[in-house]
Amino acid sequence: MILTLFWAFPVIGALFTLLAPAFNLRARWVSLICAAMELYLVLQAGTGFWGGRLASLSEPGKILTYGISYSFSMDGLSWALCLLNAFLTVIALLSSWKQDLSAGFWASFLFLEGAVMGVFLAQDLFFFYVFWEAMLIPMFFIIGLWGSENRKHAAIKFFLFTFFGSLFLLLGILALVVFHHQSTGVWSWDMNILRAPNHGLYAILAFAAFVVGFGVKIPLVPIHTWLPDAHTEAPAAGSIILAGVLLKVGVYGFLRVLLPAFPEWGMKSLPWLGGLAAINVIYGALSAMAQMDLKRLIAYSSIAHLGFCVLGIASRTAQGLAGGSLQLINHGLTTGALFLMVGFLYERTHKRGLADFGDLVSQAPILTFFFGVTVFASIGLPGLNGFVGEFMSLSGMAKVSLPIAVVGVFGVTIAAFYLLPAFQAVFLGERTPASVSSRVFDLDFREQALLWLLIIPMIVIGLHPGPLLNIVGPAIGKLIL
Amino acid sequence: MGIPFSVVCLFAAPVSALLFGYFFLLKRKQEWMHWPMILSCAVVGVSAASIAAQVYSGHVLDVSPFKWMPVGAWSVSFGVRLDGLSAIVLSLVALVGGLIHVYASGYMEGDPAFGRFFLAFHLFYLSMIGLVVANNYVQMYLFWEMVGLSSYLLIGFWYQKASARRASLQAFFTNRVGDIGFFLALLILMNVFPAAHARFSELFPMLGKGSLAISWVGWLLFLAATAKSAQFPLYFWLPDAMEGPTPVSALMHAATMVTAGIFLMARSWPLISLAPHLPTTIAAVGAFTAVFSGIIAATRKDLKRILAYSTVSHLGIMAFGLGLGEVSSALFHLVTHGFFKAALFLCAGNIAHALHKSTASVDETGGLLKKIPVTAVFFTAAAFSLSGIWPFAGFYSKDAILGAAFDRGGWASAAGFAIAFLSAFYIFRMLFLAFLGPRKEQHPPEHPHEAGPAMNVPLFFIVLGAIGIGWFSAQFYQLASSGWLGVSPMIKIPGFDWSSFIRSSSMAGLGILAAYLWTMKWPSFDWDWRRNMPWIETIADADFGVKPMVAALTLLVEELSYLLGIFWDKKTWDRWIENTSLWAEDAAKSVSSLASGRLNDSLWWILLGGGVMLLRLLK
Repeated sequence: MILTLFWAFPVIGALFTLLAPAFNLRARWVSLICAAMELYLVLQAGTGFWGGRLASLSEPGKILTYGISYSFSMDGLSWALCLLNAFLTVIALLSSWKQDLSAGFWASFLFLEGAVMGVFLAQDLFFFYVFWEAMLIPMFFIIGLWGSENRKHAAIKFFLFTFFGSLFLLLGILALVVFHHQSTGVWSWDMNILRAPNHGLYAILAFAAFVVGFGVKIPLVPIHTWLPDAHTEAPAAGSIILAGVLLKVGVYGFLRVLLPAFPEWGMKSLPWLGGLAAINVIYGALSAMAQMDLKRLIAYSSIAHLGFCVLGIASRTAQGLAGGSLQLINHGLTTGALFLMVGFLYERTHKRGLADFGDLVSQAPILTFFFGVTVFASIGLPGLNGFVGEFMSLSGMAKVSLPIAVVGVFGVTIAAFYLLPAFQAVFLGERTPASVSSRVFDLDFREQALLWLLIIPMIVIGLHPGPLLNIVGPAIGKLIL
Repeated sequence: MGIPFSVVCLFAAPVSALLFGYFFLLKRKQEWMHWPMILSCAVVGVSAASIAAQVYSGHVLDVSPFKWMPVGAWSVSFGVRLDGLSAIVLSLVALVGGLIHVYASGYMEGDPAFGRFFLAFHLFYLSMIGLVVANNYVQMYLFWEMVGLSSYLLIGFWYQKASARRASLQAFFTNRVGDIGFFLALLILMNVFPAAHARFSELFPMLGKGSLAISWVGWLLFLAATAKSAQFPLYFWLPDAMEGPTPVSALMHAATMVTAGIFLMARSWPLISLAPHLPTTIAAVGAFTAVFSGIIAATRKDLKRILAYSTVSHLGIMAFGLGLGEVSSALFHLVTHGFFKAALFLCAGNIAHALHKSTASVDETGGLLKKIPVTAVFFTAAAFSLSGIWPFAGFYSKDAILGAAFDRGGWASAAGFAIAFLSAFYIFRMLFLAFLGPRKEQHPPEHPHEAGPAMNVPLFFIVLGAIGIGWFSAQFYQLASSGWLGVSPMIKIPGFDWSSFIRSSSMAGLGILAAYLWTMKWPSFDWDWRRNMPWIETIADADFGVKPMVAALTLLVEELSYLLGIFWDKKTWDRWIENTSLWAEDAAKSVSSLASGRLNDSLWWILLGGGVMLLRLLK
């Protein structure tokens, strides 16, 4: 029951939040209390994973019809991602605390949290798909209703793009189910059982369908163009969740569905996936260099960083898989923090262009400090979290294919080339005429507290990632070739 | 295995000083910021001395107490290795770095960002200590990058100046390019020798001759060292890096940062020496760097810039020595250079301080001997040391390297002569221009004042080192070879040798004479040639074309990113995708013309449908 509670609790919380105004309650408080309780639930459930005492937590499935079974399970990887989800939801809610927003805004985040929990926990591909689609709805509203000027366009683009991807995912899932039925005569949707045949055109097509379906979410180049628009137009809290959590489900799908279902294909496709990931890394980094909008820049950097996750996973080595999974968490923390701070800036000035700011350090030294630390985490400075994930991912890839790893190393280098100049332009550079008009207040207590909550894990993971690796490691052990 | 208290102190003292400074002093009492840092330097200094004494007596420590990144068999640890190599550079960093801390507390007094300065300064110090005591490559890379980060923070300390921002970015980026080499070397080492976990003590005994992977690692590590230790062609960031406050330049050029690359090559010497052609290449690159930047140094007017090019030149000499196989001599030069270069920079800082500026040009000096005599004496002693005049410290290390070069003969010998001449020439040109005169083109300040004791006392001790550290070469060698991991033993620092003494000293003497003629016999010569032949200065200012090439390369990358990120991604590809919705709209429009809503059309459709149904029924 506890696993059902994980996804159901936020959804019920979302309903409560929607009803709150009717009972004269503050919607934001209701949503925050629900999110905090959910975070507590996840933390509580995870005590067994510390020190590797528990491999997985599952509840017995209940077969409904056509082999569709209601079954959930949680292992170290799911737990870590659920924790990230619950944690970032709290951060996202608190990030917009001072804004005057309707109950629907707060409820959307809880609903989204529940849907993502479902994706991370479902063992049955039918429910996996249902939760997968359910994520779209709240995000669509978050972008479309509470975004900035171009929100409608971005929301529709986001929806159509990802829905297009979902169709491929559905095709892939149906193909797997049919393959299984053909070979055994039994209907099943269990992702732990379903395996594609080793040869045949249909197997190739199903594989490609999964790559596209998950690839849109990651996003893989060239099906990535929804991301910069969605990030730019989404409200800060939406960007935090979008980058921090929603991009992770694509890679999670690779780990949970694609690679296990295509054991042979997975091996043959290694160079392909690795190559795609390397393209992502370079493409995202180079494109980010040209951006003049802070949110767009961070969005492209996300493309590059998610490339490292896929790079590590595609290597199918112990260190690569662990590094890639760790990089999921790292990216959630650093990019979440970056969007949070850009959100603070936007709240104060309603601007996000690199040229709109200058010399912020003299007005907001605390913000500058936090931004600087996060930038260095994001460009992979050893001692902070980004390096650990990138180094392990690339080390795994180097074992399989050195040329791809070399490309990845260039990506690590270029990361500095776009983030540091942006940091300098906004925080250190001269004040432009556009930026003089508005005075930027430094962070208040709530904002500083949120950033400390994100930065302390960055430092801890950077210096002592062992416990986290021990939690994630067993879950991905069977994928090692 | 337990970790000795002195080793714990190496990290605990700076870390706690930094935390205390950041959380307690920065907001409340930033003018006290130097106290915890200087205290920490003292603790580190004592620890380093005790460690050096232990290592000197043959006790080498190599422990890996913490796992950093454990994944099954693949893992990286945190550990320390204290052998001769690390003990030497550790002592240098602790001693010179500590003295520069004291100097900086006087130099930076009253700066509005005093607190921030000392935090970054001490982080620099901590990073360098971590780098030299690391026992594996990955941990070394951690501190290697932290050195880069601290240098970025300090070069751009006066971020209000556009030039400082630019210089700090340039330094970080150039080092980042070098880091590609280090990162790739790590990846290869972790995969080819997984059992070694990139630990020096386990890795080096495994190396076999002629393995391709080993040569790659060697070349890649050399690339990393090229950027960090400012070898040609990745040297250009260092002269610009003097945008930071003078104590930063002193720390960066003497004890931390640039020595890291030489240290990396010395540490990896067992590996580098196995790569075919690599040592010779290192020697050639070093020799070229030394001569090239020596020539540029002789044409500069800014005092700190002359010293910066001189550092590049001396790093070239160290690489030259390393490449010739003289690891111990190159290391010894690293130490003596640390002392005399720190002294020279701090003297330049004294001059700038007297002028109330961040840096000074030769135009603003002249005749300073009478006005700030203490600085003049210190500078002269350090200049003799740099030129390699017996019995100053620089002689012992430089002469050993030049001796090896003369023995090699050919190009190495020629480079040796050029180096000996050039370094004496440019430093004495600077000495004569700044302290003698003034010439009619110079406008020295009316009443410059000598620096206070907080600055001159630490400077005195550094000058003492620049004079006398060379007399301990036997002890130095004993310490350096303790725990040496190389297959072949280190080459001993040669004793006094008349033939190389005569050759190198006569070249240095010629250099001093030339500088004297240039600046004293024809006092206006330095200004005349700039006026009459401006093209020479244009070429020298462009570093013989290196700077325009760097600028062109930067522009190329920017254009490329624009092409990909804006032109292709946004304006071509994304526009095409968005237009697909227009196609759908067009298609829908053309279909919707069928449903025009006119009764006549509808009747025709009904007839058609009815006909089809009828046909089906009939069949």
